Amino acid sequence: MSGAWSRFAAPAIVGLVVLAAWEIAVRTGGVPPYILPGPLLIARTLVADWGTLAPALVATLRIAALALLAAVVVGVALAVLFTQSRWLERSLLPYAIVLQVTPIVSIAPLIIVWANDVTLSLLICAWIVAFFPILSNTMLGLNSVDHNLLGLFQLYGAGRWRTLLHLRLPAALPYFLGGLRISGGLALIGAVVAEFVAGAGGSGSGLAYRILEAGYQLKIPRMFAALVLISAAGIAIHLLLAALSHLLLRRWHDSEAGRAL
Amino acid sequence: MSVSPSGVPSATSRGIDIALGGRTIAAGLSFDVPERETLCVLGRSGVGKSSLLRWLAGLLPGSPARTDVAWMAQQDLLLPWASVLENVVVGYRLRGAPAPLDRARALLADVGLADRVDDLPAALSGGMRQRAALARTICEDRPVVLMDEPFAQLDAITRLDLQDLAARLLVGRTVVLVTHDPMEALRLGHEVRVVAGPPLSIAHRTRPAGCPPRNPGAPALLTEQGALLATLRGAP
Repeated sequence: MSGAWSRFAAPAIVGLVVLAAWEIAVRTGGVPPYILPGPLLIARTLVADWGTLAPALVATLRIAALALLAAVVVGVALAVLFTQSRWLERSLLPYAIVLQVTPIVSIAPLIIVWANDVTLSLLICAWIVAFFPILSNTMLGLNSVDHNLLGLFQLYGAGRWRTLLHLRLPAALPYFLGGLRISGGLALIGAVVAEFVAGAGGSGSGLAYRILEAGYQLKIPRMFAALVLISAAGIAIHLLLAALSHLLLRRWHDSEAGRAL
Repeated sequence: MSVSPSGVPSATSRGIDIALGGRTIAAGLSFDVPERETLCVLGRSGVGKSSLLRWLAGLLPGSPARTDVAWMAQQDLLLPWASVLENVVVGYRLRGAPAPLDRARALLADVGLADRVDDLPAALSGGMRQRAALARTICEDRPVVLMDEPFAQLDAITRLDLQDLAARLLVGRTVVLVTHDPMEALRLGHEVRVVAGPPLSIAHRTRPAGCPPRNPGAPALLTEQGALLATLRGAP
């Protein structure tokens, strides 16, 4: 079987079969739309409510993108600092882990109260969820440099800074990109979860707020339409980051070498 | 850096103590290195010959740091994200010195990679990568060259080609080449020294007749190879 077939046609057919079965089940079973709307109704709602859903999608994506950007900046900076100083790593890494393992739902209300600004608090929540994989993967990459190469760099007179720039950072790139792919999805999840918490308090403009609002008004098809948008956004982020990875690594790293986009 | 009476930096070391992971690799070993010649250090796996080379390079704790050695290893140690040309001048980039790009191109042409200078290492065969590594080692232009089984991962024919190339390009430099292949040692070494250990000791020395690279089919060389193999097997 050819690559294009297994990559695009196979998942598309599975999706179509599932959607068709769903539509048939809803119609023949007489399930009311406020329990489970069929895919055709969801699609129609998506088109009809595009005017309210599109700005909400943009708001959520904006938070996710900014949080991911902040996660990249802070994650990479901390990873570089930690690998340059064991003392810093030992003092600060445990607190990064505390941030990572704290359920975001439980601290989001506090952050919203403390930050006193909806956008900022959403950003902080999404950032907390997104930054750890980048930190952890980049650290792993920076520390995984072949010790023979480090020896060579030492013999050829490279100082700490040039070893970082010419060896550790490029060698860590595949690991960083792996972390970035995980964090891309997490930033979206973090943004949506934070919006749920903030939206429950009556403030918000993102997709999660639209879902809550539609739930209150029993507009279940609109809830599903918003969910579809979140899934689509997640897939788009994943594809975008996978393409970035491919672009940066395809010429020299085994993980991408010889693979079509 | 130690300097010999003739003013040439020397790789000769006395009182070498190496302990790694609680194992004594060398204790009070004296290791003289003939200048402007190739010394082949022959020994079985695990006797500590690579550790000795790392000590001579100043890469082990307690060994004196050096700035006059070039290094070539079993792995090509090319940076996978940099072009062949950039890899050859990497030492200059790392020191912030102007890179001798013309010299590097000439060296790459000399090792048969003239049309591959802009390729990444991943596009090259194992033999080509090791040629590039050799060009990088020569491009460093250091008086002392330390080589750790540089051709061990190549097929037999490519290995012979690269040995010839290395012998030609390394003339006039002080070279210590570690190997477990008696034929390689006999082809390339002005002196061949069999080591046993750990702890490291010198079990046997020989100076084969003629100049490297020697003909691998010469009867005298084959006889000597048989003798070396016997020495190696008797010196586990």
